[in-house]
Amino acid sequence: MGIRLFKEPELEKPDLICGWPGIGNIGLIAVDTLKGVLVAEEFAEIEPWDFFYPEKVSIRDGLLESLEFPANKFYYQKLERKDLIFFLGEKQPTEGERMYAAGEKAYQMANLVLDVAEKFGCQRVYTSGACVSPIHHTAKPRVVSVVSSEKLVEEVIRHQNTILISEMGGREGEGVITGLNGLLLAVAKKRGLESICLMGEIPDWLSGSPFPYPKASKSVLEVFADILGIRVDFGFLGKMVAQIEEIVERLYEGFPPEIKERYDERKFVVQAKPRGITEEDAKWIKEHIDEFFKKRGEQGGQSSV
Amino acid sequence: MDKALFEIYQSPQLRNPSLIVTWQTRDVGKLSFKIIHFLNEKLGGQKIAEIKPSGFFLLGGAAFKDNLLQVPESKFCACQNHNLLVFNSEEPKYEWHKFLSAILDFAEHYCHIKELYTVSGTVSLTAHTTPRRILAVYNQPEFQKALQGYGLEDMTWEGPPAISSYLLWLAKRRDIPGLSLWPEIPFYLAAGEDPTATKLVLSFLDRRFSLGLGLGELDSDIGNQNEKIAQLRDENAEINEYINRLESGLSLNEEEQVRLARGVYEILEPYSQ
Repeated sequence: MGIRLFKEPELEKPDLICGWPGIGNIGLIAVDTLKGVLVAEEFAEIEPWDFFYPEKVSIRDGLLESLEFPANKFYYQKLERKDLIFFLGEKQPTEGERMYAAGEKAYQMANLVLDVAEKFGCQRVYTSGACVSPIHHTAKPRVVSVVSSEKLVEEVIRHQNTILISEMGGREGEGVITGLNGLLLAVAKKRGLESICLMGEIPDWLSGSPFPYPKASKSVLEVFADILGIRVDFGFLGKMVAQIEEIVERLYEGFPPEIKERYDERKFVVQAKPRGITEEDAKWIKEHIDEFFKKRGEQGGQSSV
Repeated sequence: MDKALFEIYQSPQLRNPSLIVTWQTRDVGKLSFKIIHFLNEKLGGQKIAEIKPSGFFLLGGAAFKDNLLQVPESKFCACQNHNLLVFNSEEPKYEWHKFLSAILDFAEHYCHIKELYTVSGTVSLTAHTTPRRILAVYNQPEFQKALQGYGLEDMTWEGPPAISSYLLWLAKRRDIPGLSLWPEIPFYLAAGEDPTATKLVLSFLDRRFSLGLGLGELDSDIGNQNEKIAQLRDENAEINEYINRLESGLSLNEEEQVRLARGVYEILEPYSQ
């Protein structure tokens, strides 16, 4: 179980920004896009074999050419205002049938990521993910934050379109950030590092969808741009947002008129609790949406060699 | 090497042996089962060590199959007179990398193996009367070159890796030459036995390691199987039509494949149902 360092860049108190797959891949897309915009350079990776099974073998003319594992890579970039380390994980290490990271492997992964960050003097860690929320799909997703200490509260709410998780209400002040987006921050806090989670809102009825939700990634990215004092061209992300909006709009058009009417009330109110649709409506949406996604996802099995 | 992972019963008396690895899981055509039994019986294989199951298998109880308890066993047998180390196991449920590394650790550090061979069947959409091929995957071009002349066919493939491919890749990283043998098994023989494929693989091993196995006894199994299928074709026009089509290089749809596989299985394995 180890880390492979290809290079030892000289960094000054870099912030660590992490992204893993999750609901709508909101955090992963935001962090990956930011890494791309800043042309961050790869400098290290976590050896994947203790965490993941290989996903693809390539055999050509009888020769085993490669075995591919989900990548877990570190990148860096030095900015005027801040040095940065990015960590992008293509998969969360899971135990058993869980969807998101949990257990010993996840804890080991979190510690390895932080080992690298601390080696280079990191004092602050960001993760990004999804916040399932009762918003209308046409609304601009807000960025919901959870921080490791009181002194970070003032700092995060200064950014546009950013709220604290407590402002969401309906949670009695408690909740869980699932997977490594949460666990990493907890381990970071334990190690004495500042930790901030920035979560893009995704409409509750889309949280089980198999496609990404880049509109929320864009919101998160805007906050990162603000934090770092950089300008970001959202052109690529804009195209992706438009494509997904088209699919979401088609799904929405399939709602029965009475559900649509109640759901549309969400357009006019920023809510803490799901309002505007009844439990029955939610059930109908879930059943029909799941069916839609299931049909789209049905594909033949594949053998292995 | 983590010695705690192993139960070691005997010190192996082997000199740079070759390691042969087979898997009980998804044992297409019961190939692994047959090969391991044949080799151990003919070559006097002795169990010398095993990898302890803890951490690799679900140990929440005991599985049973056909009234018999199934205990996960991952054992190394030494065929001392022929300088072969044979490993057979279920695929581990957890920690593949650690498990496969343990196989190579034992084979490398205790036995100083020189080469690795894995054997697994691959399901083929061909007729049983079509000459069988062994598809081959090597982990080093030099090894591939050295094994030309054995009638193996180079495989080209991309997709999810089987455990044998993972092991072959790990061996490559350790600079251990390795070859995965993938004999083709007609899909309608995959659930039962395929003595033709078994003989083909054993013939390769026999030749490669000069084992003097005497494979004649497998001919009667092959003859019996072919005879039973021929009889089925005589009696069942539908089955005959399906096999005819496969023999002509035509394909069957999924439903037809299931009907053919079921028809053949019922006649070849009447007591397994």
